[in-house]
Formats: sequence, C-alpha cells, structure tokens
Amino acid sequence: MTRAGWVFMLGTWLVILTMFVWALVRTFRTRG
Amino acid sequence: MARERWSGKLGVILAVAGSAIGLGNFLRFPGQAVQNGGGAFMIPYFVALLLLGLPLMWIEWTIGRFGGGFGHSTAPGMFHTLANKNRFVKYFGVIGIFGPIVIFVYYTYIESWLLGYSVFALRGLYNRCHDHASMTAFLDAYRGLTRNEYFSGLATAYAFFLITFAVNLGIVAFGIRRGIERVCRYALPVLFVMAVVLMVRVLTLGSPDPAHPENNVFSGLGFLWNPDWSKLWNGAAWERFLREPGLSPVRLAHLGAALNGRVWLAAAGQIFFTLSVGIGVILTYASYLSPRDDVALSGLTAASANEVAEVILGGSIVIPAAFAFFGPVAVLQSGSIFDLGFKTMPLVLQKLAFAPLFGFFWFALLFLAGITSSISLAQPAVAFLEDEFNLARKEAALVFGMVTFLLCHLVIFGLGAGVLDEFDFWGGTFGLVLFGTVETILFGWVFGMDRAWSELHIGSDITIPRFYRWIIRYVTPVFLLVILTAYLIQDGLPLLTLRNVPPERTLPILMTRIVLVLLFALLALLVWLAWRRKASPQGAV
Repeated sequence: MTRAGWVFMLGTWLVILTMFVWALVRTFRTRG
Repeated sequence: MARERWSGKLGVILAVAGSAIGLGNFLRFPGQAVQNGGGAFMIPYFVALLLLGLPLMWIEWTIGRFGGGFGHSTAPGMFHTLANKNRFVKYFGVIGIFGPIVIFVYYTYIESWLLGYSVFALRGLYNRCHDHASMTAFLDAYRGLTRNEYFSGLATAYAFFLITFAVNLGIVAFGIRRGIERVCRYALPVLFVMAVVLMVRVLTLGSPDPAHPENNVFSGLGFLWNPDWSKLWNGAAWERFLREPGLSPVRLAHLGAALNGRVWLAAAGQIFFTLSVGIGVILTYASYLSPRDDVALSGLTAASANEVAEVILGGSIVIPAAFAFFGPVAVLQSGSIFDLGFKTMPLVLQKLAFAPLFGFFWFALLFLAGITSSISLAQPAVAFLEDEFNLARKEAALVFGMVTFLLCHLVIFGLGAGVLDEFDFWGGTFGLVLFGTVETILFGWVFGMDRAWSELHIGSDITIPRFYRWIIRYVTPVFLLVILTAYLIQDGLPLLTLRNVPPERTLPILMTRIVLVLLFALLALLVWLAWRRKASPQGAV
C-alpha cells in the first residue's frame, strides 16, 4: 500500500466518521 | 383511517439506514471495486456520492414528507401532487412501485441463501469444500443448478426461501412502528457489532501464508485505496475523439473510452443501489413523517451511516481477506459478488480459529443487512394498496405476498436461464436511474427550485450549503441523463436485442420480459382505477 493510499484511506475514513458522528450527535441533541 | 407515524426521528433514520445498508454494502461494493480497478473505482464513487447520492437522498426525503402531507405514501400520488395534478405524471410514479417489487422478488431469494449458509456455517456443512471449484459445486447444487453429493435438489433452498419470505411478510404486516421500526432498532446495532468483529479479525490476519508474504491484508487495502488516476483517463481514445468529426456514435464511444465511462457508470450504479435512492422506498418511509419533521439532517445521518457501513466496514472485510489468502490474481479472476460472498469468504473463514462462529457471523450479518432492506422494498406496494384502495395493512400485505410469491418462483426455477439477471437489470439498475431522473426533474424544474429548497428546509435542523441548490437543479439531472443515455447504449440496447444470449435462454428471457411488462401494466391500471375511484362520488370517502 502506497503512502498516497494510506492518506486516501485514512483521510476518507476520518471524513466519513466525522460526518456520521456529527450528524448523529446533532440528531440526538435535537431529537423530536 | 389515521396515518401511521414513526415513533421519532431516530426510528425513521434507523429504518432508512436499514434500507440502505444491505447486500450492496458488504458484497456488491467490494465486487464492483474488484471489477472496476480498485483505486480507480473509488474516485468516481465519491464524486457520484456527492453529486448524485446526497442530492437524491434529500430530494426523496422531501418529496416523501410532502406527499405524506397529502395522504400519499407512494410515487404516483406524490408525483401527481408535485406536478399540479397533471394527469400523466402519476404513471411515471408507477416505476416507484414496480422497481421495489421486482427487486424484492430476487433479493428475498438471495437473502434466503444467506439464512441457509448461516446454518451451514454453524453445522460445518461446507467444510468439505477446500477450493473454489468445490465451493462453486456446493452453491450450484444448493441453488438447484446441478445435483451432487452436497444437494440432490432444490428442497433445502426452497425451505429457507419459505422461511425468509414469511419473516419478511410478517414484519411488514406488523406495520411501520411495530414491524419495520422495531426490527431495524435491534438489527442495525447487532449488524454493526458483527461487522466490526469481522473487520478487526480480518485486519489482524497479516500475511497468513509465510511462503507468500506478498499476499497480506495491506495488499488488499492498497488495491482498494491506492489512487489510480491512469485508469480514469485514456489518452489514445481522447486523441481519437478529437480526430473524429461531428457528433457520431463512434465519436461518443471514443469519448466514453477516454473517460473510462464504464467505471463511472459502475460507480454511479453502486451509489444508487447502496443508498436505496431511485427505488421509491425512501419516498414511502419519509411519507410517515410529520409535516414539520426534519429531513435535511435525517437524510444526511442515514447516508453517512450507510457510508460507514460500506466504505469503512464493507471495504475492510472481503477484499483484504481475499487478498491475504488467495492473492491478487485469484481475487481479480473471481470478482463477482456471488463468488466473493459465497465462495471466497467461506473458504477464508474456514481457515481461522472458531471458523463456524466467524462463518455464522458473516452470513448472519448479510442476512440481517438483507432483511432490513427487503422489508423496505415491500413497503411501497403495501402502502399503495392501503392508501389508494383503503385496504387494511394485513390485507394489503397478503395481496402483496401472493403476487410476489408467484413471481419469486420465476427467479427460483429460472435461475439457470438468467431470469434473476433480467429482474436485476430492469428493476435494480435501469429502473433506478430512470426513476431518479424523473424525480429530480420534477423536483427541481416542475415543482420549482425555490419551492423545493423551501420545502427541504421546513423544520430542518441544519442548513444545506447553498451550492447544492445549483447541484440539484443542474448537475444532478445532467449527470443522470448522461448515465441513462450511456446505460441505454452500453447495456440496454444489447440487452434489449438479446445480443450475446445463448439460444436456449432466449425463450425464458422473453417470457420474463412479458411478465415484467404485464406487472407494470397491472400497476398502471391500478393507478388509473385508484384515481377514477377518487374522482367518483362514492370513491371519495
């Protein structure tokens, strides 16, 4: 696995996980 | 009759995420990645997610909630309302009931294989298969394509199908809150835990064969994640495109080859399938929201849950495991989803300690992912019968069950003749893009972007970036029209004219098409009848 591959994978994971956690937290905070 | 409602925001998010997270995440995604060059596939995949997936998610949530406010749970009624009661538009909405039925029919059958295989894993029934050929023989005999020492007929597969079908129908008959929502509340967390356990086990495999240290999990991850721009650009084809005069099909073919259109098509198709957009199920689920419930954040939450399941979990199980045990050559030769899921993975998991348990985890995970999706596919047709014909839920589920039960037999007994592939193309591939195109044009152009944007933000917990207004109005429909045209040229026309079909398959495929056309016509007739009933004084009760 190349360095670019690691950056692409971990960067993507970070973005997706951040988006998921952020969306979930906001959903719970405004849960109706 | 009072409309059913979700118990809360989390309930609908879990249901939509459950619908989206299915076999597409854990089987189709790695299969597509293998067939389309790994790292070359991921770039168009993310472009399609941002330009097609998220916009369509928001469009469907908004149309669904809007239509629900007028008492409609399915596309015909919603499109009718969106297009100012235009008398023809509702017939485009028939695709939003037809597609889910067609997908449900073959999806449920595949789901039943997973139930069967989870039992086989625990009982060690496929443990005598130690290579790809014997796993193929096991699967083929199970599906009734051949007879051998493993199975002498379809009886086992049929028994698991009956159980799976009954479970699906039972859940749908219990309704939105007590059936679908309750199942998703339990199934999704269990599914995530199982997937994480499998992912951790796979990522700690290292290099299982000391004689071949180059075969390891990182070579699999590298295949998927090393960015490969070269496969997205073909300079020679671009030169040919520039040299060719006019706008001929040959010139367009050169352009498609230059941009490697096949990979873009595959990526866009995967986004549709994985997010469950373009099918009609999100419209139906969102119709059970209250008029002021949020859709923008809920849509984003469901989409991001799906991406976690697909890109992080789905991308870290099958491909790294297969590369570690079999190496790139063997994996690239057997990249179909059935090969990876039903042959490669059981072979890999057999080699681990606690093999029955991990085998069970793999197939049970897929079964749970499948069932939360298939119940969503049943819902549009059931809701249509409830809304437009005032049938009670259990009656509607029974009618749906009888029709789909008959259709399932075409797939079960016509598997070797390519019936499943036919269902998949018209219902699960072409139908999605066509329906997505219609709803995007209706939303952004007929309903009007100003109204659409305001409707999307009613009760919203977030503000969607303004550039998405532009994307929804211009980029998404153009992207979809290009894909639709390319599908027709690349797959549709050869398929329609039965090119490359062996003579013995011609008749079964033509019969399947006649059945599909009749099904569509029947649904269109039901829409016509429903509206006629409403127009008559007795019907408008």
